Amino acid sequence: MTASVLPVNDQERLTRFESELLPLMNDAYNLARWLVQNDQDARDMVQEAYLRAFKFFGGMRAATSKAWLLRIVRNVCYDHLRKRQVSSDSSDSNQEALLDTGPSPEAVLEMKSEITVVRKALAKLPEDFRTVLVLREMEKLSYREISEITQVPIGTVMSRLARGRQHLTDLLKEMRAKDLL
Amino acid sequence: MTSSEFQKRVDPFLDNEVELATAQEMQRHLEECADCETLFAARLAVRHCLQSPELRFVPPEALRRKIRAQLRKEIRPPLAHFNWLLRLQFPNWILPTLAGAAAVLIFWFSSATFISRLGLSNGENNTLIEQLVSNHLRSLLGNHLFDVASSDQHTVKPWFAGKLNFTPPVFDFSDQGFKLVGGRLDYLGNEEVAAVVFQHQKHYINLFVWPQNQSNPLSDASLQKEGFNLYGWKANGLTMWAVTDAAPETLKTFIELEKQQMAE
Repeated sequence: MTASVLPVNDQERLTRFESELLPLMNDAYNLARWLVQNDQDARDMVQEAYLRAFKFFGGMRAATSKAWLLRIVRNVCYDHLRKRQVSSDSSDSNQEALLDTGPSPEAVLEMKSEITVVRKALAKLPEDFRTVLVLREMEKLSYREISEITQVPIGTVMSRLARGRQHLTDLLKEMRAKDLL
Repeated sequence: MTSSEFQKRVDPFLDNEVELATAQEMQRHLEECADCETLFAARLAVRHCLQSPELRFVPPEALRRKIRAQLRKEIRPPLAHFNWLLRLQFPNWILPTLAGAAAVLIFWFSSATFISRLGLSNGENNTLIEQLVSNHLRSLLGNHLFDVASSDQHTVKPWFAGKLNFTPPVFDFSDQGFKLVGGRLDYLGNEEVAAVVFQHQKHYINLFVWPQNQSNPLSDASLQKEGFNLYGWKANGLTMWAVTDAAPETLKTFIELEKQQMAE
């Protein structure tokens, strides 16, 4: 084994790619994790997205690197979810994944109130709503950027956000009511 | 503005995605309509929940390393670029001649490379130096300095043993002012190397280690690049490069300690 020297172009391209896109890994992972809902799959999705991104790096781009990378992450996750749905057509798998990602019992006791409930409610939302809410509220992206990532018109982004928020409000109300009983 | 108009635009209003004039109108409506105010308050509450930092998932540190390793596998020598050669027609004499020339070139180049690998006399191998410096720099940004943080050589050394097919020397020179702080896996070119990290006052030293290439001559190299001091040498079948922003004399002291300890 030697520190063999790569062709300058590839090495430069890789260096540029890494310095531009690796700092976005936290955002990529957060989105993937919210979409596929378990750690192992989310890691696989992020890896796959980075490999795809590297292949097309320097070619087709969105307005920002972040929007571009998150679009790839979102596409990889949707592909994966579609396959998962075909292979196991029961809704249980989703439920299992939910249980999987739940916090430890101590943590539940500690913050039973808000965070746990919100986490569960968001996890229950249909993917399209969950995606726009994660992008808007956690990543603080604009409608235009969200539209680039999800590949739907801005009007659709707007209505998904509206319906997603309404849905979430209702869910939270329902879950809190149950909690009180 | 009517309530139904307000309700239709409440989300873009919340997201700051309406025209200023509309926003002002909506603001005014909010003050006089209790129903819409309730709706808007509910939206703000949902936003507040979703923006709690605890809701974010944080990736495991190992993921970054795995991605970097995978990306390196993606890079292959660009042989495809030379496919056009196969389609060319040559006169009979040219192939043996080219082959001979190529053999001479390869011989010349490989000897030049192995001289330059440590001697750096012809500047050809600056890429290695650049990579060493950029790896050192990157290690100081964020929290990439080590994968295993420990000043105990008996913790750091076994950690490497499970991950590499060679064992880097790991010593702690705290008494002499060079404290072992940890180790990590790193990449030079597309090869995995060990990085042993030391601290001297406020300076860090990255010691990169990988198995020695058989054909390389034994010689030491000391140089400066972009304000960093580097020192490369070989011992016990390993190639070692230390990179630091500490002063050259400090680095020299460190190298002597390493060499002494390795000879024992």
